[in-house]
Amino acid sequence: MIRYCAVLALPLMFSAVVAAQTPAPAGDAAKGEEKTRMCEGCHGIEGWRTAFPEVYHVPKLGGQHAAYIVQALHEYKNGDRSHPSMRAIAASLTDQDIANLAAYFSQGGPKTQTAAK
Amino acid sequence: MMMTCVRASLLIAATFALLPAAASAADIAAGQAKVKEVCQACHGLDGNSQSPDYPKLGGQYPDYLAKALRDYKSGARKNPIMAGFAGTLSAKDIENVAAYYASQPAVLAKKY
Repeated sequence: MIRYCAVLALPLMFSAVVAAQTPAPAGDAAKGEEKTRMCEGCHGIEGWRTAFPEVYHVPKLGGQHAAYIVQALHEYKNGDRSHPSMRAIAASLTDQDIANLAAYFSQGGPKTQTAAK
Repeated sequence: MMMTCVRASLLIAATFALLPAAASAADIAAGQAKVKEVCQACHGLDGNSQSPDYPKLGGQYPDYLAKALRDYKSGARKNPIMAGFAGTLSAKDIENVAAYYASQPAVLAKKY
């Protein structure tokens, strides 16, 4: 029985290792910029507040770490974060789109823009 | 007499009008003390974390930071690390910490 379980477990273990080793797609900032039309209505307006379900400023993203943006978008996509608009937007993004957007925002957003000092 | 009464009423009304603002004003110095205890190791004292694993917080909007901390604390936002830390913060601590990080020099852009 134990041997049977071990035989059964082996391919599962192997697939888990392979999954863990699959690299996240590299982000292309230029391609990310093409997707920002979905973002700019809120994140592109300085001082903009979200009104539903609570009122607070939408976060600044320009210059944020790419890995954090990737994580946040995946959390919206899989439901671990609950903001309705962000869930809908993230659900429409592929892993490659997410990597591209993260690359774009982590480099500071629009090229003409400098970080606030 | 009438004028004194009006003046006194105005004073009382003004005092009460100011109370809610005073009660909700964040204490940045207390926020910094809490940041040194709880947040600094990962996010940095000025919130501009050098590690890609931890988001930059310096200059972020305080109401967004407070909302994030409340959601970690309540479990609405799921993150095992942040749930532990946010769970130790009172509602007042959250306001103070958020105000402190928001007051720090931003490396985050004003928009996007």
